[in-house]
Amino acid sequence: MITARALRKRVPVAGGELEILKGIDLEIKSGETVAIIGASGSGKSTLLGLLAGLDLASDGSIEIGDVALGRLDEDGRALLRAREIGFVFQSFQLLPALTALENVMLPLELRGDGEAAERAGRYLERVGLGERAGHYPRQLSGGEQQRVAIARAFAAEPRILFADEPTGNLDTATGERIVELLFALNREEGTTLVLVTHDEGLAARCERRLRMTAGELEEA
Amino acid sequence: MTPSVIPGGSALRLLARDWRGGELGVLLAALVIAVAVVTGISAFTARLQGALAQESHRFLAADLVVEASQPLPAAWLERAAERGLDAARVLTFTSMVSAGDEAMALGAVKAVSGAYPLRGELTASSEPFGAATGRAGGPEPGTLWLDSRLFALLGIEPGASVEVGEARFTVTAAVRTEPDRGASFLGLGPRVLLHVDDIPATGVVQPGSRVRYRQLFAGDPAAVAAFRDWLDGELAPGQRLLSVEEGQPGVASALDRAERFLLLAGSLGVLLAAVAIALAARRFCARHADYVAIMKSLGATSGYVGRLYGGSFALLGLAATAAGCLAGLLLQGLAFDLLSARLPFDPGPAGWRPWFVGGITALVCLGCFAWPPLWRLAGASPLRVLRRDLPLDSGRGLLDYGLGLAAVSGLMAWYSRDLALTGAVLAGLALTVAAGGGAAALLLRGGRLAGMRAGSIWRLALASLQRRGAGNALQVVMFAIAIMLLLLLTLVRSSLIDSWRAQLPPEAPDHFILNIAPEEVAAVEQRLRADGIAAEGLYPMIRGRVMAVNGEPLPTDGDGDGPRQREANFTWSATPPPGNELLAGSWWDVDSDAAVVSLEEEFAERLGAGTGDRLELRIGARALTVTVTSLRAVDWESMRPNFFMIFPPRLLADYPATFMTSFHLGSDKAFLNRLLREFPTVSVIEMDMVLSQLRSIVGQVSAAIELVLAIILLAGALVLVAGVQASVDSRLQESALLRSLGARRGLVLGGLAIEFAALGLFAGILATLGAELSAWVLQTRVLDMAYRPTPWLWPLGLAGSALLIAALGVWGCRRVVNTPPLAVLREETG
Repeated sequence: MITARALRKRVPVAGGELEILKGIDLEIKSGETVAIIGASGSGKSTLLGLLAGLDLASDGSIEIGDVALGRLDEDGRALLRAREIGFVFQSFQLLPALTALENVMLPLELRGDGEAAERAGRYLERVGLGERAGHYPRQLSGGEQQRVAIARAFAAEPRILFADEPTGNLDTATGERIVELLFALNREEGTTLVLVTHDEGLAARCERRLRMTAGELEEA
Repeated sequence: MTPSVIPGGSALRLLARDWRGGELGVLLAALVIAVAVVTGISAFTARLQGALAQESHRFLAADLVVEASQPLPAAWLERAAERGLDAARVLTFTSMVSAGDEAMALGAVKAVSGAYPLRGELTASSEPFGAATGRAGGPEPGTLWLDSRLFALLGIEPGASVEVGEARFTVTAAVRTEPDRGASFLGLGPRVLLHVDDIPATGVVQPGSRVRYRQLFAGDPAAVAAFRDWLDGELAPGQRLLSVEEGQPGVASALDRAERFLLLAGSLGVLLAAVAIALAARRFCARHADYVAIMKSLGATSGYVGRLYGGSFALLGLAATAAGCLAGLLLQGLAFDLLSARLPFDPGPAGWRPWFVGGITALVCLGCFAWPPLWRLAGASPLRVLRRDLPLDSGRGLLDYGLGLAAVSGLMAWYSRDLALTGAVLAGLALTVAAGGGAAALLLRGGRLAGMRAGSIWRLALASLQRRGAGNALQVVMFAIAIMLLLLLTLVRSSLIDSWRAQLPPEAPDHFILNIAPEEVAAVEQRLRADGIAAEGLYPMIRGRVMAVNGEPLPTDGDGDGPRQREANFTWSATPPPGNELLAGSWWDVDSDAAVVSLEEEFAERLGAGTGDRLELRIGARALTVTVTSLRAVDWESMRPNFFMIFPPRLLADYPATFMTSFHLGSDKAFLNRLLREFPTVSVIEMDMVLSQLRSIVGQVSAAIELVLAIILLAGALVLVAGVQASVDSRLQESALLRSLGARRGLVLGGLAIEFAALGLFAGILATLGAELSAWVLQTRVLDMAYRPTPWLWPLGLAGSALLIAALGVWGCRRVVNTPPLAVLREETG
């Protein structure tokens, strides 16, 4: 499903370059749940960004299905994301000017779904926010906002879901409920889940755990 | 079913949502105000210019005048009638007027057709020097009106009968003012006004008579313009079109300066609007970068984002143009309503140009100022969803500024239709920006060092100033531009209005006495003194003619302003008269009798003569050859006796001269009757009515300028608000953080006030410098005025700028302390 080979990422810093990822090889199978754990600054989010095609690697290759990300331009990667990939972010990333329903509709409409509203409505029901469809993000609590983000991620029925510290901005109890929801939906939809966290408890719920240390990845 | 969120008619929905989210308010306001300011000023100046042109046409008594020394084709009058224009005929010549056998006087006869005057007002009184009233037309056939002083000269009363040539007329009134009489009184005798149909009966106009023929035309401006174009092609040598400048040089120069000022103001309006839009668009895009990143992470392509935002900006532009045009219309309507009491003339129609200017301005502003950040927005990296601190674009560079500069220059040049004006403003601007960027960075760094040793409010403020270094330098430059333009406008306006007032002081001479015989000089001076009237001094006056330059005879009747034989009033003077400035050459010794002359510069130019050239003159029957030894600039707008040609006193001592003077009389018109009874051969020219006309125009134009200035101040304020707004977002964050750390409101607000006051102070320094420099260029190069340094500008510019920016800054950021810190911090993360 996802294959990364000899993946490197360097960024220019004052007086030279900093290598954030130091030659990563990775293979994730379809339907697998994978946690990438590691300390802050170890490079986990950078790896996630590369795997999702949000950024380009300095060296190495990534394939999603049969598609080599390196051969796609920015717009090609955007279309791939619209088709195959969903996201859940630490900071929710809802558009503040759109209602909960409109936020969930957004990826559906981007891929031209004619029944975006109905489908979005159903997914909001599934995350327990059917009654709040017309509310704006600022009218929702942090946990509710993350549920909208999860509904948005699954509504487009992606084959891969990337989650970046999905409970990072939430209290423990709310975080646990969000994790339940995330895994429940993942089971029902059969999605490949790649999750970045430094929460060992959350990582333990995944089938595979990979540890990132100073730009190098190993099975935990 | 909920309609589509994005594609299709999505731009409109995006706009609606952004509006709901409060994102578009500033940008839309900036655009609307920009279009409103430009349209409003454009319409206002167009209507005012129309009205002023109309007003100035009064001095021609028509919209268009053609003049010749031979009869003009009657077919032209017919062509004018076919085009729906009004037309009139005027003949002027000099002739004797007699009342009985004894009383005779030389009169300046003006014969007019029934429609005269086509513009302006002809006034007459039933008694000499009596109360003047407006008349619908000139005298009926068989009657005539005489200059007040002719009644005394001929010893007659109204109702008497007089002869001109072979025809007899009944005198029915004293003619007081004619709209096209003008300020020039070259060879001007007392007026005799009669009907043009009576001319054949007088038998005085024969082939070879010195007669000036005029045809006057007036009507719809477009029809007049078309007729003028047609007439231009028909003119034979010796026939020429008259312009306002020849009717009234004083009015023409006042109007010209006023028009240039209004265009300058309008151009600055365009510039300020553009800056406001650029600031607002940048802020809009900075705030939207995160949304674009989210959309892209969800699969939106750059093209899609570009189309979406481009579409919504286009819609925004349409709405803003419509709203701006409407606001501009209301604005200038309101302006004219406010002014109507002071404007005695009807403001003309604005025409289509203001709306066109408004539309194009919106288009150019959106395209050149809003589009670059928008274009970068479309290229925002989706990685921002993971790393929010990613810069929006590293390549914000020369291209943007180049595009902005080109757009501003183009708009200003197009709007003002004056390259010199555009150049002067842009040069001042460029200097402010260049000097500003560097100086601001230096000053801000210096401030930080000083702040290290200061209290916590100061340390906070100065640290904040320095940390946003580049952003603050830009902000300082923006503030400086706005303040500079406002100061500049205030400066130029003040000196413009002051110079007008100085030209027309209440005690300006309003009457001239001509034809004072040498033996009467002492007695006339005595009479003036006895009545407590201060005269300008008596000048000798000799009529003469320039026949040849350097041995080359001049043509007797040339075209327009080209070299030709010219009649002029000569005078002599031991020293340069007051109000005369020596431009070239040198003045003669007090007791010189050399055959030399000093020429007025424009007269010299028309003759084609300069210093060192020889002029052959004819004075009466005698010839005289002189060498030009100096050129002078003469202040024609002063009401003093002025002369084209001045000679050393001893050179002209043998020639027969009369004397002239000017004085301020006020309302004591009875003095004129006493004077004329005592000295029946002198000529009195009343300029008081012309002067009051001029004063009224200057008053109107000054009022208009004040109003335009007020509108531009509004645009300047908008730039300042947009500039403050641009940094509100990041300040909101910081202050939320500070307050969550326990900072009191007073500390946060105090820090903000100091920070903005410092920005204002730096901006004030740059702005004052730039304004002073631009004012110098504008006044000396564009407006033809004398430059005076303005020390008062410095305290005003610096303190005013610091206070204004601090107040605006604290007001603009009041949300910073009024929003709960948690709401801000959550908005950031949510």
